[in-house]
This record gives sequence, structure tokens and C-alpha cells, in this order.
Amino acid sequence: MTFALTCENLVKRYDGTAVVDHVGFHIDSGEAYGLLGPNGAGKTTTISMLVGLLRPDGGSVQVNGIEMGSDPVEAKRLIGYVPQEIALYPELTARENLRYFGRLYGLGRRRLAARITEVLDAVGLSERGDDKVQTYSGGMKRRANIGVALLHEPELLILDEPTVGVDPQSRVAILDSIERLVGEGVSLLYTSHYMEEVERVCTRVGIIDKGRVVADGTRRELVAELGGTDKVDLVLDGDVHAAAEKLRAVEGVTEAAVTGQNSLRLLAVGGRHLLPALLGAVDGLAQVTGVDVIEPDLEAAFLHLTGSTLRD
Amino acid sequence: MLTKLSALAVVAGHEVRARLRDGTAVLIAFVAPVLLATLFGVALGGDDEQALDTTIGIVDNDGGEVPASVQREAMDSEQLRDMIGFERFPDVDAAQQAVDDGAAGAAIVFEEGFSESVSAGEGGEVSVLESAEAPYAGVVARSLVDQVSSLVASRTLAVDVSLAAGVPPERVTEFVEENGADGPALRLSDATVAGAQVGMTVHYGAGMAVMFAFFVAGTSARALLTDRQLGTLDRIRAGPVPAWTPLAGKAVVGFGLALVSMCTTWVSSELIFGVSWGDPVAVLLLLVAHVFAATMLVLLVASRARTDAQVDGFVLGLAFVLALLGGSIVPVYDLPDFLQTAALVTPNGWVSEGIGQLAAAGTGVSDVTTPLLVLVGIGVAAGIPAFLRFSKGRFA
Repeated sequence: MTFALTCENLVKRYDGTAVVDHVGFHIDSGEAYGLLGPNGAGKTTTISMLVGLLRPDGGSVQVNGIEMGSDPVEAKRLIGYVPQEIALYPELTARENLRYFGRLYGLGRRRLAARITEVLDAVGLSERGDDKVQTYSGGMKRRANIGVALLHEPELLILDEPTVGVDPQSRVAILDSIERLVGEGVSLLYTSHYMEEVERVCTRVGIIDKGRVVADGTRRELVAELGGTDKVDLVLDGDVHAAAEKLRAVEGVTEAAVTGQNSLRLLAVGGRHLLPALLGAVDGLAQVTGVDVIEPDLEAAFLHLTGSTLRD
Repeated sequence: MLTKLSALAVVAGHEVRARLRDGTAVLIAFVAPVLLATLFGVALGGDDEQALDTTIGIVDNDGGEVPASVQREAMDSEQLRDMIGFERFPDVDAAQQAVDDGAAGAAIVFEEGFSESVSAGEGGEVSVLESAEAPYAGVVARSLVDQVSSLVASRTLAVDVSLAAGVPPERVTEFVEENGADGPALRLSDATVAGAQVGMTVHYGAGMAVMFAFFVAGTSARALLTDRQLGTLDRIRAGPVPAWTPLAGKAVVGFGLALVSMCTTWVSSELIFGVSWGDPVAVLLLLVAHVFAATMLVLLVASRARTDAQVDGFVLGLAFVLALLGGSIVPVYDLPDFLQTAALVTPNGWVSEGIGQLAAAGTGVSDVTTPLLVLVGIGVAAGIPAFLRFSKGRFA
């Protein structure tokens, strides 16, 4: 079977240290796959190898069966890449940016003109397409940034944190566009800091930590790995680090992470029933001013698998 | 292949439009070169034929055939005839006085017994009196002495070899002259005499154009870094284009603009001031080869830079160091010996050499084959690592 994307045993080392360490996963045709990981986990390095920007020290990448290593030009032709940073010429209009990158993808004059109109419409920039990008708001720039990747109607869309720094309204518009594309059969690789975006857009998720994929599955499969574990958020007035240390020793607590100046997040088997023990453990170290017990979700699974929250 | 070239054309076309939009293309390709040529033409007097007009003093303590030969041969030289005249002085003090007063630009002193010593294969001593006020006269005088020295050396060698081969000492002079070694009536070769080879307008006009080519080519490297900072470089590289496309696209534009810039300087100085850089085809080839070398050197140096400011600094440093070493600012023949050798590792030195040959002797492509090959070699040697670095994603 040919997958939209297959990567096997990808390795990238800097100064002898592996920042991507035998990463492997695949994306079925038409599937939306999320790659979750904290900062420095190796997400962007992995994506750079997937889109042919970095040469791996080991492993291989195939796009629709085409080897990136041996035929990069053809493999890249199938990918639409949305980089994390805005990658547009600010002194050009959105239409001029689209025209330039469309030509690089070999689109003919007539098809290019038609696609520019369609893409501007799809990302909601039809009325501002002839304005210079430097006059756009952050959200509009993000949408134009995505638009460039859609021009050549790629079979695989790779989005690296596409909603960073955008206002809620633009985020909704961007996610709507992405869902629409997935609905049209485009395969998707999506990375984000926002768990709720991944849960909304992606059908399968890979969790990457310290350069390794530590889990891979549907949301249901990943959450199921937690068993009867609940997520417990505590708000404390006192020494949160000492409290976290104490709480880790409580039987049934599998993780305890400091999430703010006075907040902790715990994973605890049967968390609801453990509350008295938890409150007792921090007695004398801090005063508990708030407690929230949450059913297991992807974020809890992430904490369970990596020992850290996504925004650590 | 067509797709690859088409991608290259798209990148290059985008770059040209950007340069036209911000006005730098017109500025660096036309305005600055015309100003450069005009400035040097006006400052240095324009017409090259009158660039050097000086008197060389002769102090003939020898009285033999060699000093007379040197003077006679020099006056027979088409190259030197209109540029220098000779005046005899009775002794070194009188010559030194004339040089100090400016009555003579330089003087050549032949010691007593020089011709006889040369004839016997024992070498001889010649010295030059110079003045800081007339550096070119000094260069010409030294160059004449250099030619005499090489003739003396070959004569000495011929005599030594003949003696070693058993020719009787009393027959050796006659023997070496019969067999081709120059006798006391020395004959100067047709080789170009340094300092007289190219007028100042051509020398400095070409020198500045050669240096300016580095700055023009440097704008390509800067544009590449700007693309990197905008993130558009990665976007291009993630597209279906060969890895070398962005670098080559920028380099082509830098090369083109630098070439137009140099040609504008060349044509301006010929049209406005009537000076000649020599055979047009040979000059053009020399300029193409230089711009190629300069573009590749700039890309190589800039490939180590991480910011716009670093690119500017690196290119500035490269351009000035090569200009100083290569004779674009101070003529090569006016530099100390070790710097004259160092000039041979710079594109500037080879362009100066080539233009010198062409402007002085009016010869064609065959006379600048070596400079052309060396310049292309420098370009290839610098270009390969720059492109490899970029292809591996390590550029900047």
C-alpha cells in the first residue's frame, strides 16, 4: 500500500547529539495526522527533513511512494508546505507572492491566474489580494502564508504551527479552511502547540519527545493508555515545587507538573478518590485554593507520555 | 532540464524585478560606473597617450657600448619613444640634483668598466636614482635596468658555460657572440616595460571597476540572506526546484549586473575620454572572467555570514583586500616584491595584467589566455564549495 507520507528511522544529529532519533510514522491517503511535542522535541527538524530542507543523517522519507532522497524535485511537487514563520515578500501584494511561488511550481499562466483567484477566495483575502502583505494584520498574513501552499493543489499538506500569533477569529477561519481541505481528500500533517486544534483537525496523533515518537494512534487509543487516570489541576498558595515533589510520592499519582507560578497538574489513577490524600500531602507546604478533576483527554495522555505539559 | 532552467529563470526574474523596483539595478549598473569613469578621467587627465612624459637621466661612467645600446634601443621602442627622453649627466651628483629638482624623473647610473665586465661574463652593476615626485619615471627606469640585468645574467651564464666546456678564455667573448648571446651592443626585448604599459586613466578606471564588481556581486549574497530572513528561501527550497536554484538565480543576476557595470565603466571611459582598453573582444572576455570569479568569491565568503551586516562587512573586506593586493589601488609594479607575488592570487592582479597587456600592446585574446584561465579557475575553485555548502542546507 502506498501512503501519502512514510518516514522511517529518521535521524538528525548536531554535534553528535541526535535531535531526531529514529523517528518513524506514516500518513494514509486523505488522513489528517497531528504531530505533538513540546518546544525542542524535534518537530520542526523532522518537518524540515520531510519537506527536503534538511538532509537526514539516517532513514528515509517517501511522499506517495516517491523517495525524497533520490527524487526530491518530484517528491516536493506533491507537498504543500506552510512554514512556522510567515514566508512572504512583504513589499509584494498577496497576488504577486502567489504568482511568484506558483511559477516556481511550474503552473502555467492560465491555470495560475485561476488558482490565485480560488486560493485568495479560500483564505478569505479576495478583497485584499492587491494590497501589499506588509499592510496585513497577523491573521491575514497567516492566511496568505497558507494560501501559497495550496496553489498547486498538493496531495499532502504540511503545516508547522500555522496558527501561532493569530487572533481567535482568524484561527477559526484557518481551521475551517483546513477541515474543508481534509474533507476534500487532502492528506495532512499538522503540528501545533494547541491541543484542541489537533483534537479538532486530526484523526491520528503522534507524540514526539526528545527526538523520539513515544506514541502514535487515534485520540481514543492514546487516552485509553491512561487507564483510569484522571487529570487533576491544583491551585496552591505556597511552594509549588515542594508540593509537586511531595505529591509525586502519593500512591496513584503518575505525574506531577508545575504549570504556573501557583498551579500544578497531576495525573492520578482514580484521581477523584485520591483527593483527600492529595490535599493531605501538601498540608503545611501550601494552601490549596482550587481543585479541578478532569476526565482523561489528549493533553492528559501527553503529560502521561512525556512527563511535561505541551507548553513547557 | 527545461524545468530546472525555468525555475532558475523565475528566481532570476524575480530578483531583477526587485532590483528595478528599488532602483539599485540602475544605480549600480549605470549611474555609478559612469560617475566612476568620469571621476577618474577628469582627475587623471583622460587621454592616456600623454599620461607619462618624463626624462630619464643617464650617468655613463662606463663609456662603453652597453649604456649607448640601452639608450638607443629605448628610443627605438614604439612603446617608450613618445613617453621618455634621455639626458646625459657627467656624474651621480649632477643626476641626483636633476632628479631632486624635477629636471629628470629618474636616472640610471652605469659604473666604470660595466661593458667590459659584461663582455667578460663577470656581470656588472647598474643603479637607479628615483624621486617620490615622479614614481612612474622610477618604475620605467627600474624596468629598463631589470631588462639589462637579465641580459647581463644570460651573458654571464653563457660565458661560464663556454669556459666550463673548454673554450679558451681569450676566445670566449667571440665564441658566445658567435653563438647568439648578446654582446656589448645589448638589444632590449619587445617585452612591455612596466609603468609605461598602461595610462593612469585606464589603470585606475579598470582597477576601480574591478573592485566595484565585488560590491555589485555582493548584492546577490545580500539578497539571498534577505530571503533567508524572510523565510522565503526555505519556501523556495521546499518547492520542486533543484537545491542550487536560489543561489544560482541570485548569482546570475549579480553576475549580469556586475558585468553591465564594468562594461559601462569601460565604454564610458572610451567614449568620454577617448582612452583605449585594448582589443574589445579580449577586454570583454577578461571582464566576463573577472565578474565570474568575483561573483563566486563573494558567494563563498558570504556563505559564512549569518546577517546582512556580516555580508556587507565580508564583501567590503574582500573587495578592499583584493584591490590592495591586486593593484587596483596601487599599481602592482609599485608594490614590494612579495606583494607583487601576492597579486597573482587575486583576480584583480590578473585583470590588471591583462588590461595592461591589451591597452599597451593592442594585442588580442591570445595574449590574455593566461589571465582568462586563471580567473575562470579562481571562479570554479570558489564556486564549487559555495554551491556544495548551499546544497547541503548549510548556507548562511
